Amino acid sequence: MKIVIKYLLICHVLMLAACQDVIDLTVPTEPARLVIEGSINWEKNTRGNEQTIKLSMSTPYFETNRTSVVTGADVKIIKNDDGTTFNFVDQGDGLYTTDVFVPEMNQSYTLEVRYEGALYVATETMTAVADIDAVNQSIENGFDKDELEVNIFFTDPLEEGNSYLFKFYRQGDLLPELAYFNDDYVNGNDISWWYEKQEDAETDKREAFAPGDIIEIELYGISKSYYDYISILIDQYWNGGGPFGVTPVGLKGNCINTSNPDKPAYGYFRLSEVVRRQYTFE
Amino acid sequence: MTKNQQSRTGTSFVKGVFFLLILGLIGTVGIAQERYTLSGKVTDRLNGETLFGASVYLKGTNLGVITNEYGFYSLTAPAGKYTLIISYIGYEEESREIDLNAPKQLNFELKELSNQLDEVLIEAGEPERALLKKPEMSVAKLNIKTVKQMPVVLGEVDIIKSLQLLPGVTSNGEGSSGFHVRGGAADQNLVLLDEAIIYNTSHMLGFFSVFNADAIKDIKLYKGGIPARFGGRVSSVLDVRQKDGNNKDFGLTGGVGIISSRLAVEGPMFNENGSFLVAGRTSYAHLLLKASGEKNSISFYDLNLKSNYQLNDKNRLYVSGYFGRDLFNFDGSFKIGYGNMSGNLRWNHLFSDKLFSNLSMIYSKYDYELGFALEQFNWQSSINNYHVKYDLKYYLNDKIKLDFGLSGIYYDFDPGRIVPTSETSEVNAMTLDQKKGFESALYVNAEHTLSDALTVQYGLRYSGFNRFGGQPMMTYANDQPVVYNSTLGIYERGEELGETPYDKDETIASFGNVEPRLALAYQFSETSSVKMGFSRAAQYVHLLSSTASVTPLDVWTPSGKYIKPQLSNQYSLGYFKNFKDQIFSLEIEGYYKRVANRIDYIDGANLIGQNTIETEILNGKTRAYGLEFLLRKNEGKFTGWLAYTISKAEQQTPGGKAGGPGINDGNWYNTPYDRTHDISLTGAYQLSEKWSLGASFAFQTGRPVTYPNGQFSYEGLAIANYDDRNANRLPAYHRFDISATWKPNRKPTKRWKGEWVFGIYNLYGRKNAASISFGQNLDTGENEATRTSIFGIVPSFSYNFKF
Repeated sequence: MKIVIKYLLICHVLMLAACQDVIDLTVPTEPARLVIEGSINWEKNTRGNEQTIKLSMSTPYFETNRTSVVTGADVKIIKNDDGTTFNFVDQGDGLYTTDVFVPEMNQSYTLEVRYEGALYVATETMTAVADIDAVNQSIENGFDKDELEVNIFFTDPLEEGNSYLFKFYRQGDLLPELAYFNDDYVNGNDISWWYEKQEDAETDKREAFAPGDIIEIELYGISKSYYDYISILIDQYWNGGGPFGVTPVGLKGNCINTSNPDKPAYGYFRLSEVVRRQYTFE
Repeated sequence: MTKNQQSRTGTSFVKGVFFLLILGLIGTVGIAQERYTLSGKVTDRLNGETLFGASVYLKGTNLGVITNEYGFYSLTAPAGKYTLIISYIGYEEESREIDLNAPKQLNFELKELSNQLDEVLIEAGEPERALLKKPEMSVAKLNIKTVKQMPVVLGEVDIIKSLQLLPGVTSNGEGSSGFHVRGGAADQNLVLLDEAIIYNTSHMLGFFSVFNADAIKDIKLYKGGIPARFGGRVSSVLDVRQKDGNNKDFGLTGGVGIISSRLAVEGPMFNENGSFLVAGRTSYAHLLLKASGEKNSISFYDLNLKSNYQLNDKNRLYVSGYFGRDLFNFDGSFKIGYGNMSGNLRWNHLFSDKLFSNLSMIYSKYDYELGFALEQFNWQSSINNYHVKYDLKYYLNDKIKLDFGLSGIYYDFDPGRIVPTSETSEVNAMTLDQKKGFESALYVNAEHTLSDALTVQYGLRYSGFNRFGGQPMMTYANDQPVVYNSTLGIYERGEELGETPYDKDETIASFGNVEPRLALAYQFSETSSVKMGFSRAAQYVHLLSSTASVTPLDVWTPSGKYIKPQLSNQYSLGYFKNFKDQIFSLEIEGYYKRVANRIDYIDGANLIGQNTIETEILNGKTRAYGLEFLLRKNEGKFTGWLAYTISKAEQQTPGGKAGGPGINDGNWYNTPYDRTHDISLTGAYQLSEKWSLGASFAFQTGRPVTYPNGQFSYEGLAIANYDDRNANRLPAYHRFDISATWKPNRKPTKRWKGEWVFGIYNLYGRKNAASISFGQNLDTGENEATRTSIFGIVPSFSYNFKF
């Protein structure tokens, strides 16, 4: 019941906003770990041959310089049924790319990363996504009835167990926003998803949508295990340690360190079909 | 521990109890002298309220008794002439010469000590001092008058906040409901309001307690040494009793505060053979907020009802009720409502001057509802219980008093349902499995005076729980609802094999536990004693809450196929001393408590709308130990106490059947209720006839929480990675409160009595962290630690009146 959580978070922010302040705090620091951002995105109706994998190192929590890129690693993806191998080329800036990838729906793939003598391995399946039927705007939906929001319409397939990841980015903003969704309670229904930016009057951190704003919308099909991972990640991103949030936990992705199983890499290897839309507010 | 082992220790204990009982009987049968029983009731002279815990004793002897919950006493003594002394906290002591030459019935009406300053305690009576002879230990009894003296926040007397100033009782921080006793969780407290189970003790998420001080007579908190007549929770019992209502005169009490107001009416009925009390409270802050243009609102109200009717000397009927509700409204698009409701019908019957009985029939309910206007559906959840209990007290002789009885509770759990509120709603209707269970208990307890110095209380409770069918149960491959994925190092749902249907008359699971209770007091001098206690308790219903603090939206669930009953063993040892002519008392207690079958949640557990809770939990155990100090000054212009507790509370949750190392690699970790140090200092000072002052200081070690230990970039965001569960702590909690009460001139003849109460909560404005959350600043992209603190400095005033 993710809607419930969403509302609880909003309640808590509303009720307590007046008593929140940023403080200096000492937190523990564990040794740096490899981070694998193995996101294979296959846009609907494209070949999906150009793919990028990003490697970096984790940093202390309050470190402001997060550019800790990893070069010199050996990165490849193997298609599991026939052993086809796609090698990713080190670009020297933490990015590893290929332009010969061949995505296949519901096909299982293995990612192998060799770095500083350790071998990291992850296996995942390419997951399809429903198409976006329509995008429009309104003001009466959403939490704040005076602000603009964008509505995304799509149809959940009849079979159960579809999971989705949304990525929203307003041009000009510093950061994107992620949201997750699955078809529990709504299987097979026509879905409308609203996305609104609430004005934060106190900090001016968030500004509501205004006419002329351009928003980029991405809807990904994701596997059940990635849903489990990304839902914890997103919940903790918004409410890590907050009063109504669950006790935060260490994130465990699927990139296993075969040399040292106690130190898996952060991040995840996933393969998703994605639909992209751009919408300009009127 | 297996079931066999349990019952074996149980039977040997039963034998022991019977042996002791027989010993006691033989010891008293041989005495030839004629004995007569004196019995009756102790009440307040002005309003006829029965007094619970008044002491009735024969001067110059060791014969004495304490009145029960209904003010009844029974005392047996050899024939002869005596001086009978009746005393009770805050009341004038009464003595009467009696010639005990036949069974006698004597009722006493005690007069309150001060007719002018009726809310102020000038001299504490027996119950507030260390009771040396009674084996009762680990008990905190607070008279409502003591509570009313403490500094108050937001102009309302708060019972729960007052209890938190006692050793061994802590809060989970501001803005959180519930309280914690000796490292226990909030759901391990049995909270009773006139015997009805209360599932949520707070209004407005902990800002107010659900107990309206105007309707409450007394409060007793059992932290350990729980008598055999209570059961069903492993940590503590909070027994709150409502007033019966004035049976002599009509009265009106009330108060007007900034956030809420209250009013109580009481008076005689049935020609003074009965009385009634109706008390109500409501907040009106939401009206003010609305007027100021705020779209969101929070409000609460509650209503207490009580009435009793004396049929004749031997029979009396009581009816009591409680109804409370909280409402949150967020601009009409989202609403939350939750509350307790209870009703109780009781029948006191006196079989003889030695045998007192009470039959109770109780209904109680807790429910909440979330309304989603936009998505067009409501989410509802409730727990109902029907409770019948029969308790008897037999004053066997001057050495032995027996309590025995039985109890049955039928539970009906409705964990959650979705009700679409329109045809066009995108959300499908859904109902989680309804769960039903029956908790039964049988108990006997003896308070036995073995010698002048040694008193023992031994008892046995047998409790059982049947989880009924009428719902399907999921079965899992290898009987593993949770499986350890050793590749990824995470716990996942087990593989579902299918549902097994259970008929309504089928039993899904049943449990039985023998719960021995033992306490002894040895008074080794006029002013000091040592006490020891052991108690075992079983708990069959559990609150599911994976958040740091209990919220009103958490759901109760019964034991069954996958969730076992919690079992606790608690050992305690204490030293009690009265000194300086009983002006001061000192209580030192140590305890060790273990709880088996305490569940904890796997990483990323999803409890909301979860039909198969078993896939989200692992079975663990907890241990808690500590040392408590309580120094009180009971008399004089200045009264108060200093309480200090040093303690530890930990949990271990191995993988068990699911495999793998368990939570935190199977190591012991702090529970969220662990507080190394807990200090409180509370004082009241009677400055003049018109002015009295109160102050309190509280300090607690910060709550165990989980902090990040690193970050990484992912999908364009900075993501925190978190440390081991509860491996870190919030900053320490402390605050200082003061209050002043002004009672303007009033003539004793004038019925209207008013007082002004001025208070400042958190005088030095400490921003105590209720929580610290971690996230990325959306403008700068930097990570930040954000402290949420609920109360800054909060001044308040209220006007209280009595007519």
